[in-house]
Amino acid sequence: MTPTISRASILRALLKKELIAYSRDKLYLFLTILTLVFMVGIFWLLPDVVEESISLAVTPPIQTLVTDAQDTLRAMGATDEQLADVDQVDLTEGQEGLELVEFEDEAQMTAVIEGTLELWRTDAGDSVFRDVEAKEDKPKDADRVNVDIGIAFPDGFITDVAAKQDDITVRVYSDAAVPKEIQGAMQSFVREAAYQLAGQELPVDMPADDAIVLGQDRAGEQVSIRQKMRPMLAFMILLVECLAMASLISVEVLQRTVTAVLITPVKVSDFLIAKTIFGTGLALTQGLIVLALVGAFTAQNWSLLFVAILIGSMMFTGVSMIVGSAGKDFMGQLFYSMLFVIPLIIPTFSVLYPGSAATWVKAIPTFPVMDVLVGATIYGATWAESWQSLAYAAAWLVVLFGTGLVSLKRKVESL
Amino acid sequence: MTGPAIRVQDLMYSYGDLKAVNGISFDVQPGEILGFLGPNGAGKSTTIKMLTGQLTPKGGTAQVLGIDISADDPEMQAQIGVCFEEKNLYLNMSAKENLDFFASLYGIKNPDSIEVLRRVGLAERAGDRVSQFSKGMRQRMMISRSFINQPKVLFLDEPTDGLDPVTSAQIRRTIKEEAERGAAVLLTTHDMFEADELSDRVAFLNDGEIVALDSAENLKLKYGTRSVKVRLRDGDSVREEHIELDKEDSSARLAELTASPHLMTIHTEEATLENIFIELTGRGLKE
Repeated sequence: MTPTISRASILRALLKKELIAYSRDKLYLFLTILTLVFMVGIFWLLPDVVEESISLAVTPPIQTLVTDAQDTLRAMGATDEQLADVDQVDLTEGQEGLELVEFEDEAQMTAVIEGTLELWRTDAGDSVFRDVEAKEDKPKDADRVNVDIGIAFPDGFITDVAAKQDDITVRVYSDAAVPKEIQGAMQSFVREAAYQLAGQELPVDMPADDAIVLGQDRAGEQVSIRQKMRPMLAFMILLVECLAMASLISVEVLQRTVTAVLITPVKVSDFLIAKTIFGTGLALTQGLIVLALVGAFTAQNWSLLFVAILIGSMMFTGVSMIVGSAGKDFMGQLFYSMLFVIPLIIPTFSVLYPGSAATWVKAIPTFPVMDVLVGATIYGATWAESWQSLAYAAAWLVVLFGTGLVSLKRKVESL
Repeated sequence: MTGPAIRVQDLMYSYGDLKAVNGISFDVQPGEILGFLGPNGAGKSTTIKMLTGQLTPKGGTAQVLGIDISADDPEMQAQIGVCFEEKNLYLNMSAKENLDFFASLYGIKNPDSIEVLRRVGLAERAGDRVSQFSKGMRQRMMISRSFINQPKVLFLDEPTDGLDPVTSAQIRRTIKEEAERGAAVLLTTHDMFEADELSDRVAFLNDGEIVALDSAENLKLKYGTRSVKVRLRDGDSVREEHIELDKEDSSARLAELTASPHLMTIHTEEATLENIFIELTGRGLKE
C-alpha cells in the first residue's frame, strides 16, 4: 500500500532539505555571518554626527585688522560712531558653520595648512603648536584643530581698501584635498570680508534670504554615514542571499538532483514553491534582522519597511532563479550573477549621493525598493509618500519573479 | 494489480530529426528483470526517461502499474524507483540524510534508512557526507535510493557502469533481491555479462528499435551456434580448431581429434549475447 502524500508534507521535506543544503554551503554561510555581524558591527562604530563647521584660518588676527582700520579711519576724520561700527565687525556673521582660527603670521598659517605644523587647542582654550617633522609629543588634554584653508591679508589692507586701490593682494591658501567648490567659496568670502572691514557694501545685489537651498533643507540635521548605512545594509544582505540562493539552485540543476526529486511524487510546482518560500523567507528574515540590529524600525515605519523588504526579497528570489537556471557550470553561474547583481546594486549609491540618481538609475528594478528603504529609514517617509515607489517596485517584482519562475521551470523540465 | 507492471506499445521519441526510440513494444511482469541491451545511443536511456515521466513520448502508449505515463500521476511515481546513470546525489548531505529526504518525498515516516544502507554495504558510513564517497560507494547509494520506497517497478540505467567487479557483483545481488521481492525491473546496460546474469529476458535495442526480445537462453539457441574448441600440439607450437556441433560431419571430426595423441584440451563454446547482437545488427555493444 502506498503511503498518503500531502503537498504540505512534500513542501516541508523540500524546505528542510533546502535548509540543510544552505547550512552546508560554507561560502554563503560565511558571507551571511560576515554581513550580519561584521557589517552591523561597523555600522555601530561609524560616527552618528556630521561635522558641519569649517575652520578658516586668517592672518593677521582680526583684532589687528580692526585696530588698523580704526587708526586709518581716525586719521581720515571718522566719528566715534563710525569707529564703533568697525569695532563690531564680525567676519563669521551670516557664515553658518564657519569657525575662524587666527594666526599671528602667514608662515605659521601655511605650515598648519600644509600639515608640517599642527595646531592643538587645550581644554583651557590655549593654542599649542606641534612640529610634526621634529616629532614633538602630542599635547595633553588638547584637541587638534583641522585647518585646510586660510586667508592672508596684507599689511595696510584696510587703508588700501579704503583708498580704493586696485592692486590689493589677498592670498587664499588651501590644502590640496579641499574641493574646488570650497576654494571658490572662500575667494568670494574674502571679497565680502574685505568690504565688510572697509565699511562698504558689495557692489552686487544679494537676495533677501540668507541662502537659497535647493531640495530638502537639512541644515542642522544632516544625514550621518551611519544613518545612510541602514538601508544599504538591508539591501546588501538581500544581495548576498540572492547569490546564495542562485548558488543552491545552480548546484541542484548542474548536479541534476532536481531530476531525482521530480521522478518522485514531487511536481515541478512543488519544487518552484519550495524555492520561492525558502529564498524569500531567507532574504526576508535576514533583511528584517539587519534592520532590527541597526535600529531602523520605528512605530511609524515598521510596516512600510516590512513590505519593502518583502518585495525586495521576492524580487531577488526571482533573480536567483534566473541566474541559477542560466549557468551551465560554476563559472557560468558566476558570470550571470555578476551580470545581474552589478546593475541591481547601482541604486544603493543614490544613498551616498542623494539627489544624484539619473533617470537610467531610476529605471533599474531595485531603485524603487531602495527608494522606499531610504525614505523610511532616513527621512521618516510614510505610506502616503511611498506608495508610488512601492507600486513601481511591485510591477518590477511581477516581471522579475515571473521571469525567474518561467526560466527555472523550463530548465528543470528540460533536464 | 494484475497484468504486466510495464506495458509499452509503439513508443516513439525523437530529438529533432533523430528518431531515438522508434516504435518499441514490450511488457515487463512483476518480479521479472528485463535487460535492455544495446550500444550507446541505442535509445535505452530515452526509453527509461519516457517511462519515468522525464520525457513526453511523441508517439505510442505506455502504462506503468496500469497508469498511463502521460497522466503525470503521483500515484504511479510513488511506486517506482529510478537509478540514474548520473550520480545525482546531494553531496553535502550524509548518506542517511539523502535517503531520509527521499523517503519523506514518498510520505514514508521513520524510514529504516540504515537497514537500506546495510543492504548495499554502507551502513557504517551512514553519517558521512556523500561528497566523501568513492565512485563505487556513490553508485551503491544510487541503488539504495532507488528502492527506499520499496517500489513495484525499478528502472535501473547502467547501474554498474565503470565499477570494479566486487562492487558490480554486490549491486547485481541487490537487484536480484529486489526482483525476488516482486519488483519488475527494467535494466539498461551495454554489458552482455550483466544482462546475461541478471535478466529473465533480454531486449536488443539498436537505433531506437528492438531487434530481438527473448530469454538469453532462447536467443542463444535461436541465433547462436554450439561449438567446441580443441587445442592440439603441433610440433613446438599449439594449434586450435573450432568444431560447430550442428554440422553433419562434426561428430566424426570430434571423435578423430579426441583420439589424437596430440590432443591437449577440449572446451565447449557457447554463443555470447554480444555475438548474437553483432549477428543481428552488424555492430558491437561497445560502439
